[in-house]
Amino acid sequence: MMRRSSYALAALTLGTALVGTASPALATTNTVKGTVRLPEGARSTRLYSGYWRLENGNVPVQTTGGAKAETVVVLEEIDGAHAPPARTVTVEIGGLDVRPRLVILGPGSVLEIKNTGKMTHELSTPDTTDIMPVERLPPGGARHVKFEKVGGFVVRDAEYPHIMISVIVVDSPYYSTLDERGAFSVANVPDGKAKLRVWTRGAWATEQEIDCAKKEELSIKVAAPNEKDAAE
Amino acid sequence: MFLSKIWFILISLVAGVALTFALIAPRPAVQKLGVLEGQRLDRAQYAAEQMFKVDAHKWIDRVSKLGRDAIVADSLDAASRGAGEWGVVHKTLQDRFRALIPDLATGGIETLVAMDLKGRVVARVGDNDKEYGDYIGGAEVIADALRGYMSDDVWGNDGKLLRVAASPVLSKNHDRIVGALLVGAETGDNLVERLKKNLDVDVALLLRGKVVASSRNPADLALLPDLIEKHTKEIAEVKRTPAIALTAGADSLLAVAAPFPGQAGQQQAYYVLLGMQPAKSDLPSLLSHTSSDDLKWGNFPWIPLLLALAVMIGVGLILQRREVEGPLEHLRKDLQQLARGEITKILDSRYGGKFGGLARDVNAAMERYTHAPAAPSEMAGKDLNAILGGKPARGSTFDLPSKDSAFHGNTPAPAFAPPPAGGFAPPPPSFAPPPPASFAPPPLPSAAGSVFGAPAASPSGGGLGLVKSSGFGAPVGKAPPALKPAAWAPPPPTAPAPAMAPSVLPAAALAGADEEENSEATRIVPYDESEEEAAHFAHVYDEFVAAKKQCGESQAGLTFDKFLQKLRDNKAALVSKHGCRTVRFSVYVKDGRAALKATPVRD
Repeated sequence: MMRRSSYALAALTLGTALVGTASPALATTNTVKGTVRLPEGARSTRLYSGYWRLENGNVPVQTTGGAKAETVVVLEEIDGAHAPPARTVTVEIGGLDVRPRLVILGPGSVLEIKNTGKMTHELSTPDTTDIMPVERLPPGGARHVKFEKVGGFVVRDAEYPHIMISVIVVDSPYYSTLDERGAFSVANVPDGKAKLRVWTRGAWATEQEIDCAKKEELSIKVAAPNEKDAAE
Repeated sequence: MFLSKIWFILISLVAGVALTFALIAPRPAVQKLGVLEGQRLDRAQYAAEQMFKVDAHKWIDRVSKLGRDAIVADSLDAASRGAGEWGVVHKTLQDRFRALIPDLATGGIETLVAMDLKGRVVARVGDNDKEYGDYIGGAEVIADALRGYMSDDVWGNDGKLLRVAASPVLSKNHDRIVGALLVGAETGDNLVERLKKNLDVDVALLLRGKVVASSRNPADLALLPDLIEKHTKEIAEVKRTPAIALTAGADSLLAVAAPFPGQAGQQQAYYVLLGMQPAKSDLPSLLSHTSSDDLKWGNFPWIPLLLALAVMIGVGLILQRREVEGPLEHLRKDLQQLARGEITKILDSRYGGKFGGLARDVNAAMERYTHAPAAPSEMAGKDLNAILGGKPARGSTFDLPSKDSAFHGNTPAPAFAPPPAGGFAPPPPSFAPPPPASFAPPPLPSAAGSVFGAPAASPSGGGLGLVKSSGFGAPVGKAPPALKPAAWAPPPPTAPAPAMAPSVLPAAALAGADEEENSEATRIVPYDESEEEAAHFAHVYDEFVAAKKQCGESQAGLTFDKFLQKLRDNKAALVSKHGCRTVRFSVYVKDGRAALKATPVRD
């Protein structure tokens, strides 16, 4: 009888230990959802406007695109998060346009820029010239830039300023682009606090602390540049 | 003098204020001119902005109108659908463009580009008109046109600025977009000249830190890009800079810069309006800008200036005359009258200020001279020799007249003659020395002693002159027989009183009589002498004796009678010489010896 109770106690102890060890793997994960509301001006597909922009009056204008295509939501400071693996991402410049305009990389990744057009481009990261100094990229040429640091970077063309590549280097896999409605969804986010940051059209637009365990949908409003200045 | 001083201070203040005003007044004026010039540039910048805006709309209208051309629309429709031969479509469009716009330069068009729905170039006229087939649909203004927008932009490529406008090209039925047209307007020297003509200011166009076109020498504006870059904050906020001071060659300019819209605005593309800065406000700069016209009668207030100067000078002269020159003349006349004896004193109440003080001082001096013997006056302070015209001698105990005095050789001389310069010679053998009891040989005159009778060093001194000793050899009573200075006349041996050897005063004899004669009771006062004068002489004698005692001098041979006689003689000489009423004597110490001083009294 005595021996039987000892076996039972040992089994209970072992079972408790096993459950305790396995509990992190079994921790609940969340999906952080929400909508980013961009300012009115961000609907425009143009970065730089002239004096006039008039509709033709006969055919409806197409308004797809705009800043939403260049916006990403990133969750940072999540415990236990691992950075995406380093990789090489190719961006093509041609026809006075660049595709894609937004790339999200892990630290140590390489951005390959190919000039498939007929124009020469002067590309650089003006705010962080140590990463990518000004260099002319002739037609048919390619340039490789390695991004080690986490953060947001902008590659600009001095000759054609509308050619702009947003490079977001993240240290976690928790990020999301926007759909046409501006909605985002980041899955498998562990419980806990996180910092949510929104990058749009070449700059961090807003950031806030969120509780990933909450199920409610987030509504993130991005202020227009002038409103942001006023708030500051 | 007071008003003159006040006037001088007032003139100085007015001059200081005028100078300050002259130096300061141009500064706000120049600042105001600078502000006005800056405002003019601001207005010019606004006008330029409106002109660019109107231009942009005009180009949009033109390119939109071109897009409504049927041949253009059909060609682009075919190109977009891939229905036609590319070369044919290209040729058709080029010809059509050239037909519609025969002279691109006249219309200010630099390039005209037609693109299909994918943004591929179908045809070009103007720049690179042989190239086609490339894709440029990524350009925002073209992408906008392919979406259905008519818009404009400014490009800055290859060191050139290009204002562009694009418009979608619709199908014949106007139901779909078949392509787009882009027109590029020349933005360089022609635009600069047009702006300068319309706005009356110099213009410079900047792109990526370089002057790409300017109505001034671009080399003079080399610093302009850096200067504008310092104002990027203002440019971002208000879309233009304030008026910036700039030196361009020899000129000082004001510059207002504003960014071009569109993507060129991100390439530091600015149009800068330049105006002349007002002249510097410092005096040399202002004078250097003064012309002869500025000094003409009509342009410069000469008359008020001259009148003001005349008034200032006139008032100054009047005050000077009234307060300085006038009183000075009167005072001089009064002094002349005083010198002539026409008046006895100056009416000092006629004078004010320092002249009144001067007159009072003169009066006081005259008063002291005439009434106060001891007081300093013209004659006061001088010894008797000076008063009587003789030369002063050292160590004299009596200041007596030299020549013309009663002691001169022409008058009954004192009973002694001057000794030789080397001292007194011993008496001749016939000389009978006085009895030892009543005559003590005086010490040698060269020594400082009480020996009487050494004449002044100057032989011309003559007479009794000045003596070194305090002895006094004047005879008492009637005048003794005259003695030739060169001869030594011994007194008769039987004389009851010694005849006063000239150089050797029988001090003992004098002293022997002292006790009796020095007493007040035995003093002899002449009958014609006033009591006051007698008292004065007695007082002087007492003071003289006291002074000798104080100086440690011997009083041997000094008797009141002799002293009195001496004073009388001196008084007589002085009255005779100066025509004064009487003479007052005073005792003083000179070189450690008692001495007498005589002061004539006129009234």
